[in-house]
Amino acid sequence: MDIYEVFRRHGHKEPFEHCGAVIAPDPEMALLMAKECFLRRREASHLWVTRRADIHSFEDESLLEIAADKSYRFAEAYRDVMGKRERARARAKELAS
Amino acid sequence: MSDAFASLLTALGDDELVLGHRHSEWTGYAPHLEEDVAFSSIAQDEIGHATAYYSLLAKVTDTDPDRLALGRDKSGYRHAVVCERPNREWGYTLARHWFYDTADEIRLGSLELCADEDLAALARKIRREERYHLLHADSWMKRIARGPVEGRTKLMDAIGDTLSESLGIFEPFELEEAAVKEGLWPTPSDELRERFLQRAAEELDVLGLPTEIHAHAANDAEFVASSSGDLIADQEGGDGGSADGQDTVALGLGGRRGHHSADFDQLWEDMTGQYRAHPGATW
Repeated sequence: MDIYEVFRRHGHKEPFEHCGAVIAPDPEMALLMAKECFLRRREASHLWVTRRADIHSFEDESLLEIAADKSYRFAEAYRDVMGKRERARARAKELAS
Repeated sequence: MSDAFASLLTALGDDELVLGHRHSEWTGYAPHLEEDVAFSSIAQDEIGHATAYYSLLAKVTDTDPDRLALGRDKSGYRHAVVCERPNREWGYTLARHWFYDTADEIRLGSLELCADEDLAALARKIRREERYHLLHADSWMKRIARGPVEGRTKLMDAIGDTLSESLGIFEPFELEEAAVKEGLWPTPSDELRERFLQRAAEELDVLGLPTEIHAHAANDAEFVASSSGDLIADQEGGDGGSADGQDTVALGLGGRRGHHSADFDQLWEDMTGQYRAHPGATW
């Protein structure tokens, strides 16, 4: 028997979301178990199962932390771009007149 | 701030800036889309580290990090020559990425003990990102080393070209002796270089990749003699100029004393052109 992780989603535009796990001897049985456990009340219209052993993660998840300044990756850092452009236009106009 | 400290920060910042710039040239050209994003991100990290080093320097020298990065004359840069070499192909870039980040890991490990608290703290912070860079480089090296012959052969050639030039990362910077005395550079470069060579050789050996380095650098490094001296002739052709130090530049040395190759002339033009064309402009 293996542990299968279960993912479900509503429509094609939604992401699959993890909703739990089932124990089953093979993928086919895992799907049946998952349907009974997690789609009893029209919670979703699509279902995935995958063996937990086939899911990978970093051994050391501190690698995922952001250590240094990454402000340039956030829209916030470019907040004043419109204002700067307006001011530059005004300055150009002033110089032209 | 002592002159020795300024010299140290300049060398560190310039390495990161110039290599980060080279890495960024892969944006849009890397072997596949995911790697394009990953490698561009690493390029940004390196330039971020340069900003951090320059910021420490700028705090006490009454200037700003941008000016240090982009507003200096070519002759003011103190990065290792290997950082300025063109990317050539992915195998070369990968080998250099691996050697540089291995070297940086060793250098940062020592810098964490720096007598200057700010620099020690910065080294700890940067090292956390560099651990990921090294994981990235290691992962590629393993796959190519154990992959098909063509990729493996290209990687082996690249290692031959890069290992000897990487020793330039551990050339003593100007006023290093004073920096060591002041506790700012806890381990002298010569010793760091030995650690680097030992670690690189061990890891290459595990991957079944060649660990000998080309003859011309062996004199300096007291390392395994090499099979080929051909590289020397090749490189001398590429690095013209009669200025003092050009013969050592051809071997990847002299960067810490401000001797650079023609490769850097072009890089400097590209990197600083915008800044020089619009003095005082802000982002």
